[in-house]
Amino acid sequence: MAMPSSQQVLEALGGIKDPDLGRDVVSLGMIKELEVSPEGKVSFTFELTTPACPVRDRFKSQAEDAVGGIAGVTGVEIRMTANVRPAFLRPKPSEILPGVKQTIAVASGKGGVGKSTVAVNLAAALSRSGAAVGLLDADIYGPSVPVMTGSRRVPQQVNGRLLPIDAHGMKLMSFGQINPSDEPTIYRGPMVGKAIEAMMVQVDWGILDYLVIDLPPGTGDASLTLAQVVPLTGVAIVCTPQDVATDIAVKALQMFRKLNVTPLGLIENMSWYVCPECGHRHEIFSHGGAEAAAKRLGVPFLGAIPLEEGIREDADSGTPVVISRPESAGAKAFVAIASQVAARTSIQSFRQLPVINVH
Amino acid sequence: MEITWEDGAQSTYSAEQLRWACPCAECRGEGGSPGRLSRVKTLSDAELRVQDVTLVGQYALQIAFESGHATGLYTFSMLRRLGTTDRR
Repeated sequence: MAMPSSQQVLEALGGIKDPDLGRDVVSLGMIKELEVSPEGKVSFTFELTTPACPVRDRFKSQAEDAVGGIAGVTGVEIRMTANVRPAFLRPKPSEILPGVKQTIAVASGKGGVGKSTVAVNLAAALSRSGAAVGLLDADIYGPSVPVMTGSRRVPQQVNGRLLPIDAHGMKLMSFGQINPSDEPTIYRGPMVGKAIEAMMVQVDWGILDYLVIDLPPGTGDASLTLAQVVPLTGVAIVCTPQDVATDIAVKALQMFRKLNVTPLGLIENMSWYVCPECGHRHEIFSHGGAEAAAKRLGVPFLGAIPLEEGIREDADSGTPVVISRPESAGAKAFVAIASQVAARTSIQSFRQLPVINVH
Repeated sequence: MEITWEDGAQSTYSAEQLRWACPCAECRGEGGSPGRLSRVKTLSDAELRVQDVTLVGQYALQIAFESGHATGLYTFSMLRRLGTTDRR
């Protein structure tokens, strides 16, 4: 009698359906290491998704009957095993931003301190210095990067991956581009995490020297997801000088310390205002608060940015001030801060992580 | 499992030790109610075999056991305290 073929065995097993997944066990890849001996003995491994599979015994007897019924089969040996998938799947570290050398997060704790303005200008200043720069707007609820960079376009999709938008020589990706209408994004926490993860894994960032990540305010889901998914090179914290802002900035900084993300330093935004009428310098939100907080916490103070109408105007019209008015005091402050950030980032890249071996 | 730290020190861990140290809410308990590890005296073999270890950001390891239990995030500071460390 002719020896049964592997194909015949798989066809017979294809009649068994997983009741939970609604597909047959062959196309689900549950049948492994199939062998048919010249004497007609069939052996294979039946890999379940959990050792506690409620239909384990039913699967085994169904498989024995199906294979046993093929002409020429003299014996059936089934090894039942289970390949457990971890309770929550995380992308592998190698799948996350493989071509990106440095990831710099811009965070604040408190909202409204100009985090996105700083992130956009920091990225633009790094880009002007000749580096390949990407800017990821991780503020799912209030994405402001598309307006500030004049890039409200829907990204193209190639081979199931999104291409970042090119603007001012930088690669940009924001939820404001994926969902560009006036419709709000109404997400609970876990969805925010998924969305941020997708912007790293499903976007083709290519080769970058720096990826600047503009975080939403707060010490919750977005920041936590980011610190769990990417090995961040460091985080720059933005705050305004008054106590209510620096107090919250300190909380944000301490959160990143707990997650072993190095604080690159504090940036003071809206630090002073020079009145165009009288030429006087006004310290509307006080002055020096961030520097004092940085000293207290033992982290670098990266610099102060003035409150200037030009910064706001250019942000609203879609060109970062470091590109549109490079000679302004604001632009110069951003460029100085960017070089500080770049210097601290390169120091960080020599830092080592523990090496883990599992036997 | 072995960890070589930034300062050169090495720590070693058995899978059993790691499983009993699982810091997740189910094992440790939360909100004043005791966790699973304080209620059981023995664990099955599949619960004591490590299947996979993943880096979480740069502050912790997520350890998956063959039983499917994978909710514990072991921070590096906790692991440093836990292991038998041999300084070089």
